[in-house]
Amino acid sequence: MLEGVQVCRRFGGLRALTNLDFVVGQGQIVGLIGPNGSGKTTLFNAITGFYPADSGRIIYKGKEITRCRPYEIARLGIARTFQIVRPLLGLSVLDNVTTAVLYGREAIGSMGKGRGRALELLKFVRLDDKKDVPAQRLVAAEKKRLELARALALKPEFLLLDEVFSGLNDTEIQDAIKLIFRIRDELGVTIFLIEHVMKAVMGTCEKIFVIQYGVKLAEGKPEEVSRDPAVIEAYLGKKRAC
Amino acid sequence: MSLSYIIESIISGLLLGGIYALLSVGFGLTWGTMKVLNISHAVFAVLGAFVAYWMFVKAGIDPLISLPLLATLLFLVGAVVYRLVIRPVQKAKDVIMASMVATFGVAIVVENAMSFFWRPDPRILKPPYAGSSIFIGDMAISQGPLIGFIMAVSAITLLYLFLHHTYIGKGVQATWQNPMGAALVGINPGRVSLITFALSIASAGLAGVAMAMIYAFYPSVQSVWTMFVFLVTIVGGVGSVIGTGLAGLLIGFIIGLCAAFLPFVWVNVLLFALLLAILLFKPEGLFGA
Amino acid sequence: MKTRKYILVLLAMFVLFAFPIVKPPLFFLTLCFSVFMFVGLTESWNLLGGYTGYVSLGHIAFFSTGAYTTAVCMNRLGLSPFVTAPLGGIFSAILAALVGYPVLRLKGAYFTISSLLLAVVMQLIFMNWDFVGSSTGLWYKLLPVSIEMNRLLFYEAMLILATITTLVVRYVERSKFGAGLVAIREDEDVAKTMGINTPWLKMKAFILGAFLAGTVGGIYGYYMSYVHPEVTFSMNTSLLILLMSFFGGCRTWSGPLIGAVVLSLANQLIVTFIGAEISRILYGLLLVIVIMFMPDGVIQYAREAFAREKG
Repeated sequence: MLEGVQVCRRFGGLRALTNLDFVVGQGQIVGLIGPNGSGKTTLFNAITGFYPADSGRIIYKGKEITRCRPYEIARLGIARTFQIVRPLLGLSVLDNVTTAVLYGREAIGSMGKGRGRALELLKFVRLDDKKDVPAQRLVAAEKKRLELARALALKPEFLLLDEVFSGLNDTEIQDAIKLIFRIRDELGVTIFLIEHVMKAVMGTCEKIFVIQYGVKLAEGKPEEVSRDPAVIEAYLGKKRAC
Repeated sequence: MSLSYIIESIISGLLLGGIYALLSVGFGLTWGTMKVLNISHAVFAVLGAFVAYWMFVKAGIDPLISLPLLATLLFLVGAVVYRLVIRPVQKAKDVIMASMVATFGVAIVVENAMSFFWRPDPRILKPPYAGSSIFIGDMAISQGPLIGFIMAVSAITLLYLFLHHTYIGKGVQATWQNPMGAALVGINPGRVSLITFALSIASAGLAGVAMAMIYAFYPSVQSVWTMFVFLVTIVGGVGSVIGTGLAGLLIGFIIGLCAAFLPFVWVNVLLFALLLAILLFKPEGLFGA
Repeated sequence: MKTRKYILVLLAMFVLFAFPIVKPPLFFLTLCFSVFMFVGLTESWNLLGGYTGYVSLGHIAFFSTGAYTTAVCMNRLGLSPFVTAPLGGIFSAILAALVGYPVLRLKGAYFTISSLLLAVVMQLIFMNWDFVGSSTGLWYKLLPVSIEMNRLLFYEAMLILATITTLVVRYVERSKFGAGLVAIREDEDVAKTMGINTPWLKMKAFILGAFLAGTVGGIYGYYMSYVHPEVTFSMNTSLLILLMSFFGGCRTWSGPLIGAVVLSLANQLIVTFIGAEISRILYGLLLVIVIMFMPDGVIQYAREAFAREKG
């Protein structure tokens, strides 16, 4: 569904992404892991048009989107969340999602209908009891659910999640995993997620890409990848004889 | 149109450009180090011009001699403005916007205060040496701008030396590059901000004196001078003393060149079009850090 | 309760419209005219300034375009300002479209500086453009009606404009368009990921605001029977627009309205009885105070202070 071919991105002298290839099939939940600074968010920024790739191609449902602008990519059905959650702080939870619904891909023009749909989404992520709370007063886990609701309001077919599980405790992680599956199963959304929390990755992904220094290190099923020596070395360092 | 006329015009422009550089260097400094966009910067230049004017006209003190006193006076004014307006505004969520709007208010207050107390009539500072000209070949170089230029170069050089070769100056730079790190090594950010801001106002005052020897000044001319401050700062790159100096010379060169061929007004329009172009395509400035 | 509110508003509007019938002294009509004008200016400014968060210091450029349009049309073609004022609005909208295309890409401070630049450059151009009277300005004849009729017509016209502008802004605030603008203000990048066509929305706000300001300027220009670059492009008017919107609270439609009414009344009184410069000094100070202590507007500040007292 989403395919990257030889994607490259530099920032001045720094090669952030080099000849990256990846494929995410429809209906899959795929993970992207790698040490800090390996280029994961850079890849997401390239896919969503914030910092487009310098060379290579990004193809979505058969069409090339490499040079599209962020709002065009959103309109095509790719939604994203941010690593550091960015709700619209000045607005209430409901207003946040309502705005997203109005500009989403469901042609809803009226404020009333928009609010109704927003409320449904808030129920889906179990944030409806906080609908009138100003977004800046939510706790971290709630802000993440808000971010998710907002992304879903777009009515995406593809969702990029950037470290949604960070900072959650065990119960919250379990709840979030269930939510991710519900998004895939009930809403039919393909999910590509960046994650550090291994428990979450193992619990959700059917395929994982590993990148380091902007280069793909490994790809495959979670069990295979976690046993790959190159991956272990990347995270833990070389095994030393002395 | 003879070549010497064109060169004469260019030289005039360069001299003016140097003075514009002095006018702008303080502005870039506060923007770069404190993220404070001080729109009232140029109004203090006009204030400096007035102070020098009154000292000359009422007490017969030659402007050049009054400079140290003037600089000190405006340093104090800057410190007061810092304490009253800038320091509170630095705590805002969006310091750049808040400081811009607040200093807009300050500019209007100071401009109208000057207009109220001293009347809006144009004045000019004309010490005896400012009238005559030096002659090189068949080109005349007016002494007023020349002295202003020398003043500007000296002041900018002093500022540069201060920033790079004194303890406090290096503290200013450190705070600019890494506020938290600077605080960690014991540099007092509040004091650094105070000194930076007060210095920038003082430099504006000095520039005002230089400008006053060339052009007539009046309270509302500050908005025109403000435009030049933006122009030079953005072309030169915010916060870079050398960049501002070079930008001043470049702008001066363009002014001189165009003034030889175009009516004065269109020179200004050209410059502002240039500013817009730079904002759009190279906001870090031509010589920016 | 809602019906009671509506009735009160309608009553107030009726009083305002009928006011001239009691033949008040000229001073009052002039005062109201000034208030209505500022309402129109602040509301139209707030579309981009308050809702979208792009603070423009060049709004008077659009106001002046409108003023000069009616002035020139009256001077050269003898056309009635009630016809040419909307034309002034259209010219302002075109100007906004041309200027907005590059300038709206700039963020925050750079945008504000560019907007200031626009006003200053336009002033310079108009000072030297003979077609519009350059530095002497343009005088033109009044309409061939009595002085009282003149004042009455202009009072009503400006009141209508103030009402229309306020209603338009209020409508936008509650619409999808308004929600999009607010999203841009809160976080422009996130707004893009939500599928909001940010450049286009900003343009719309800019152009609409310009059109409204231009039309207001069109009526003003004629009312004054004289336009001059230094008067119409005054930086002080820019300050007042900003101040009034921030003072009242720039996040709602009612903020600029309240700010404009309160402050333009106060301004006129101070200017008339004390002096123009003192008024400006006070306004500069007020702007500084508002930014430092009440950035969300005086009403919000009062509300919070009240809540703190209670709680």
